[in-house]
Amino acid sequence: MVNDRGQLYTIEGIAAGMIMLFTTYLVLGATSVYTPGDSHISDMQLEQTGTDALQMMNTPANGTSESQLQQIVENNEGNTFNTVFLDYVNNKTGSKADNLHYTASVTYYDILNKTTVTLPPFAFNRNLSGVEHPVRVTELVIANKQFPGGSGTPRAVLVEVLLWRD
Amino acid sequence: MADDAGNLSIDFLAGFTIFMITFIYVATLIPGLFIGLQSSSIDYDAVAYRTGVVLTEDPGMPYNPSWESPSVADSQILRFGLALSKDTPNILSYEKINRFFCTTEFVYPQDYQSRAVFGDYPYLFNISLQMAGSNVTQSVGDVLPEDYGYSRRVIKVKEHSNATLDFSNCNLLSCPSPLAQYALTGSQAGNATIQAFSLYFNYADLLDNGPANNNPAYQINPLSPSGTGQITGGEGVLVNLTGLGSLPQDNNTRVNLSSISVYRSVSLAPLGTGQSPFEGPVLNATNPSQFELFIDGTPVTTLPQPVTNNATLFIPPGLLSFLGQGDSSTLLNVTMQFSLTNVTTGNPQPDRYLNTTQVAPYGAFQYNYTNPNITQPYLQNGVMEVAVW
Repeated sequence: MVNDRGQLYTIEGIAAGMIMLFTTYLVLGATSVYTPGDSHISDMQLEQTGTDALQMMNTPANGTSESQLQQIVENNEGNTFNTVFLDYVNNKTGSKADNLHYTASVTYYDILNKTTVTLPPFAFNRNLSGVEHPVRVTELVIANKQFPGGSGTPRAVLVEVLLWRD
Repeated sequence: MADDAGNLSIDFLAGFTIFMITFIYVATLIPGLFIGLQSSSIDYDAVAYRTGVVLTEDPGMPYNPSWESPSVADSQILRFGLALSKDTPNILSYEKINRFFCTTEFVYPQDYQSRAVFGDYPYLFNISLQMAGSNVTQSVGDVLPEDYGYSRRVIKVKEHSNATLDFSNCNLLSCPSPLAQYALTGSQAGNATIQAFSLYFNYADLLDNGPANNNPAYQINPLSPSGTGQITGGEGVLVNLTGLGSLPQDNNTRVNLSSISVYRSVSLAPLGTGQSPFEGPVLNATNPSQFELFIDGTPVTTLPQPVTNNATLFIPPGLLSFLGQGDSSTLLNVTMQFSLTNVTTGNPQPDRYLNTTQVAPYGAFQYNYTNPNITQPYLQNGVMEVAVW
């Protein structure tokens, strides 16, 4: 004998189908797909600003003076770097300034020991705690200063800045 | 008994209908699923980036004569680019910025879309520029919507050179160095009733011997952007003479700026002094409309004019190029001539005044890279933002 226990009847089937479809619609509509490309955009913008800032800091204001970045590296002026760099990266054309964080360090090549040495950060406005997602921007600077492991001047050193927004 | 073989059951009909509806629904849903992937903001950001690069790293098109020159008509401009030259990215030209942001000349958005933003889609945008320490923003475009593509560039703008000579510390007997050479003192003074202040430009020297390996960013460039036969772009020169009231030794001396003359020599180095080795004058202006002349703070268009304390001569962009006939071997002498008279009788009155005739070697104030009275070209910081939607 045919037993109809556990069966889904027509009307209930339609109702259940509707509920399932509606649920699917809600779920799909509420999710936005975040692609890797999207995060790449904000990183790229940050890199652009940082690279521009370092490049402009390494451009002398007139034909006879040294660039600001060159002076900063030669005299290890962390405070000046802090002021000037933040001015460059935070300035916007509107009245509201940006709010970026960074740490900056200098890397040189030790000719004697044939190693690359990165000095501790000489300027920063916040410590990297590890949860940030910084971008790395660099600028080669010609400095009239002696670095360990080589006697000659000028020396080319790399100014490296980790830049992030929180 | 009824045979129900071959009948369509109502269960089958209902099930098939639901299946078909679902199938059609899913089929229409699938393209919509990828809308998130084809994010418009990615596209806008890319266009904003591209526009930022075109504006800050490219000198624009046409290049020679450069698009910012008044001689280049709007319709001839193919691409806006604000960079000074292709070798100086992020270093912008003052003249290019001014023409770019001239919204009476170019119409938003179509003129800018075809020359700076590009693309098939008619993007709307807002481009703004602000110099550091200034609260004036130059901008073109619409009010920003909620969501837009964005690019920010850190820039520098080249400021032109200028010469400032302040004679206010001159007393009856002498002038402090290095100004003393430009004013007759002691026994030299007191004979001349007509005195002259000349500016001397050696184009070859200015174009070849600029600082920092002749970097265009720091060059005094009388020909840039080059162009011949007509007034094109080029850099301006500002000469500011102040404190002139301290020069005459007699209180009854009245000083008039009587004329501004321009003498030119092309491809020939004059060895003598003053104007005699030159051709000319090529421009003898008692109506100095080609210059911008300010006497004691007031703009002046006719000469002669009485001078009390200050005279400012601005040779506007393009005039040096025009006067030099676009030739890089030009030598130019711009002479301001003053006549001295007695304030009561009106007769010529000899007295001490501006006079460059005795200055070695050319009898003129040399406009070059080493003159201590000249503020050399320098770079100003600024920021430019591009928003596209």
